[in-house]
Amino acid sequence: MMSNIINNSSLQSNESFDFIFKIVLIGDCSTGKSCIVERFRNGTYNEPQPATVGVDFSIKTVCMHGKTIKLQIWDTAGMERFRTVTQSYYRSANGVIIVYDTTKRATFLNVQKWIDEARRNTGSNVLLFLVGTKCDLEDEREVELSEAEEMRDYIPEIMFVLETSAKENKNIDDVFFCLAEELKKKHDQMAILENAEEDRPVNISESKPISQCALICD
Amino acid sequence: METELCLSLDAENRSEYENFEDEEEIKLFLNETKRRNKCSEIEKFLETDFTEDPDYLNKLRSFSLSEGGLVNDKIRKQVWPKLLGIRPENLEPYPSEIEFESHVEFSQVVLDVNRSIKRFPPGIPYNQRLAMQDQLIRLILRVIMKHPQLQYYQGYHDVAITFLLVVGENMAFHIMEKLSTVHLKHFMEATMEKTAELLDYIFPLMEHVHPELCSYIEKGEVGSMFCLPWFLTWYSHTLNKYENVVRLYDYFLASEPLIPLYLVPVIVIYRQDAIFAVECEMSSLHQELSQLPDNLPFDRLLKEARDLYNKYPPQDIEKEAIMRRVKLKALQEEQINRKNYSNKTTNRSPSRRNWTFMQRIVPDWFFPYGRLGLLIFSASFIVGLYAYYRYANNCDGFNQ
Repeated sequence: MMSNIINNSSLQSNESFDFIFKIVLIGDCSTGKSCIVERFRNGTYNEPQPATVGVDFSIKTVCMHGKTIKLQIWDTAGMERFRTVTQSYYRSANGVIIVYDTTKRATFLNVQKWIDEARRNTGSNVLLFLVGTKCDLEDEREVELSEAEEMRDYIPEIMFVLETSAKENKNIDDVFFCLAEELKKKHDQMAILENAEEDRPVNISESKPISQCALICD
Repeated sequence: METELCLSLDAENRSEYENFEDEEEIKLFLNETKRRNKCSEIEKFLETDFTEDPDYLNKLRSFSLSEGGLVNDKIRKQVWPKLLGIRPENLEPYPSEIEFESHVEFSQVVLDVNRSIKRFPPGIPYNQRLAMQDQLIRLILRVIMKHPQLQYYQGYHDVAITFLLVVGENMAFHIMEKLSTVHLKHFMEATMEKTAELLDYIFPLMEHVHPELCSYIEKGEVGSMFCLPWFLTWYSHTLNKYENVVRLYDYFLASEPLIPLYLVPVIVIYRQDAIFAVECEMSSLHQELSQLPDNLPFDRLLKEARDLYNKYPPQDIEKEAIMRRVKLKALQEEQINRKNYSNKTTNRSPSRRNWTFMQRIVPDWFFPYGRLGLLIFSASFIVGLYAYYRYANNCDGFNQ
């Protein structure tokens, strides 16, 4: 995980930033992955988005608690056939957003499959977010928020559940801000752990009872 | 090129040409004249009966390959099927609505076609567009129903729509059928593995022409995924301008199936300044490489792709690509091993730390034997201690 977080100093970029995180969006076809990215990146909504062939990339810089965070967003094709060629793009991900369509139950039922996919192809430290889309279409809803929350409670890897609407710009920024915040927290924790490891404190359980005592006599 | 054009202009045009003030205007006029001439030449040729005589086909091919391609869609409609040897009278049984809807890929195709509005001409009436989308769904399904071994992929609809717009549903079906069994057949296999292998050809090709650029891109570990949509859709998914798409299709239909792939390194090399300008890192490189500007000089680039193909044919490049893959795999394994080794030696448990300290002070020749080395070391140490003890005792004896 640590090696995936590239600190500013190691890159010769013109833009300055404090952190850079790699986020990958996965999920069934036509769940709205590209719409989420479009809304977050440009603040626009274009319906319909053409099918993604392979993988699309975009970048967005956000500011949080006085720190500049650069988010690299990889938007993958939902089609199963592309998985063999897109897998290599998950490998160094810091965060994965698994997307389902709240108006199509089948896409929610496939979430488990996508979690397995993320488990197989990413590091153990990756953060998983579950995002439901098209929540403005209340009449067509087929998945309740409570079901997604149940899934979060049941599957420990899922950190967060959020319902969104790219059309009405609902919760889109929150998804990325929350993820960025969590990633930053995780990064800080890891840094503390690393430092702690360096100046290792005395571990009481490792001490042994003294069986012999040397007397110093003059 | 322009001198050639000037020479071909007749006196009448020349006087017209003198009336222009702007250089850009002259260029446009020259291009338009050339286009018109080519158009009437092809139309005249097409008045002769179609034969499968190689000379006839070669002439059609040369029209498609030369500058400007087949000029307009009216000509394309006639020439594209002929380039693939398709007879207009071929008629196929038409599946029923139920057969279409029960096909396993039906909903996937519908999803993709409904999202392909960008590919239709702007300003097309809504009803007409809906009718054409239905035609597109049917023509795609007809191909994969007739050839069950072929698997639909996202991007296939981008190819099909181009033909639907130019030649109409029925002929588009025949063209797609032919292409799917020859040009696009690897993309339609059960997995995309073969496609990924083909994409790797771009690296040996780039290395031959521009080794510095090739190593820059390889150093960034960006891979070849940036050009996947180019290759799978014959560039139609990425290009914005319709006239560029059909121009490329003229060329590809008259060429060997791998010419679209050979165009990739040519475009990348043409855009080298922009690519060298970004930092050598995966995401920045991917972002820059996947750009396909509208103003690329496609006629020139296509010719360069053809030269590249002749100079480094696929059978040679395939071997080089395999060699590179083997080398890369070995390198990756070595890196993993090295990482594992360094993880082991930098493990922070105290006993390990002592062990590495030992390694530093004890000569290396102990360690190849592992525990045996340690045994020999301790044995010789004990013997030495015993010898010293005896010597010390003996000395005491003498003193007494």
